[in-house]
Amino acid sequence: MSENLHTRAQNLLAQLLVEGLGAAEQSWLDAHLHDCAACAGEAARTHGLLQAFRTVPVSVPRDLAARTQLRVRLRAQQSAPSSTSNALLWIVTTASWLLGVFSAPLVWRGFAWVGTQLNLPKPVLELGFVLWWTVPALLAVAVVLHQRAAGSVTAGNRP
Amino acid sequence: MSAQAFTLTVSRSPVLFTGLMTDDRQTLANGLRRRDPDALDRLIEQYQQRLYRYLLFLTGEPALAEDLFQETWIRVLERGHQYNAKSKFESWLFAIARNLVIDVSRRKKFRSLEELADPESNQPFEPPDDHAISALQMLVARENEQAVQLSLLKIPAYYREVLLLRFHEELGLEEIAAVLATPLSTVKSRLYRGLEALKSALPEGAA
Repeated sequence: MSENLHTRAQNLLAQLLVEGLGAAEQSWLDAHLHDCAACAGEAARTHGLLQAFRTVPVSVPRDLAARTQLRVRLRAQQSAPSSTSNALLWIVTTASWLLGVFSAPLVWRGFAWVGTQLNLPKPVLELGFVLWWTVPALLAVAVVLHQRAAGSVTAGNRP
Repeated sequence: MSAQAFTLTVSRSPVLFTGLMTDDRQTLANGLRRRDPDALDRLIEQYQQRLYRYLLFLTGEPALAEDLFQETWIRVLERGHQYNAKSKFESWLFAIARNLVIDVSRRKKFRSLEELADPESNQPFEPPDDHAISALQMLVARENEQAVQLSLLKIPAYYREVLLLRFHEELGLEEIAAVLATPLSTVKSRLYRGLEALKSALPEGAA
């Protein structure tokens, strides 16, 4: 029997395990293994090898699952976002936004009155008006981000 | 020649059928997003054997595998919102575990594990370092001292890994590629070479 046939059979045996074979290749291989004791022996050896590989005994250490479950629960408690504080934050933010929208005309009138009294130029008034609204919001964002960053460090949260 | 014909098939072990269906995966994704501790408890129970075996095969050290087992589940908790229900949970889980192994190998400079982080298919065949293999050998030998099984542990970790994912976990080639974050061609190449390495590591006359 040609050496090439045996090589092809060995290659197909490997391909069968890794990628699978088409019907024609499978038929050819089956026929070859039927006639060739050496290749059939190699196929049996490979089969036995994989069986041995599949049956390598690995015992999970006792209580590993229970210990892990406990640790995961503790971590979940430590790093759980506070729903109460989150709800409060949303309420305060919404109230602040509504108050800001509805009080804007009054605040602008107040700025205009102060500008008139102090003879301030209009750009200064406008800048003051903008800062009046943005600075508190930016500070609030900074506080929230700081709290979240601190929470992540505490929880050991890795990116 | 009157040899008996052998037809090798990639048999599907029962563990395959414990995998999650698509609907289950969506439920699981929702649970992970909520950081539901009960859902995590069930997952830890369900996947303990497979995950521990994977980690033990990669690291070769039972104590390290235990630590990484726990760290993997902590990371599942922290990153549960990233799980996409379209993919298999076990693929995602193994990818997390693998990244942790690579992190540890970089910190501790384990030679055999470094091969996982930067595997090169043209590397010559080398057994893993003595310390790692001796620990794993001890574990295996305690339950079964068959030469065949010990010889399986002599092959490089990156071959052992793909063989485990393919023939133990029975993941598809694309799924293995996703776990390893490598091209499909690399996965195939490693599987072919891994099979060869496995045969070479076997004592004459065994299996």
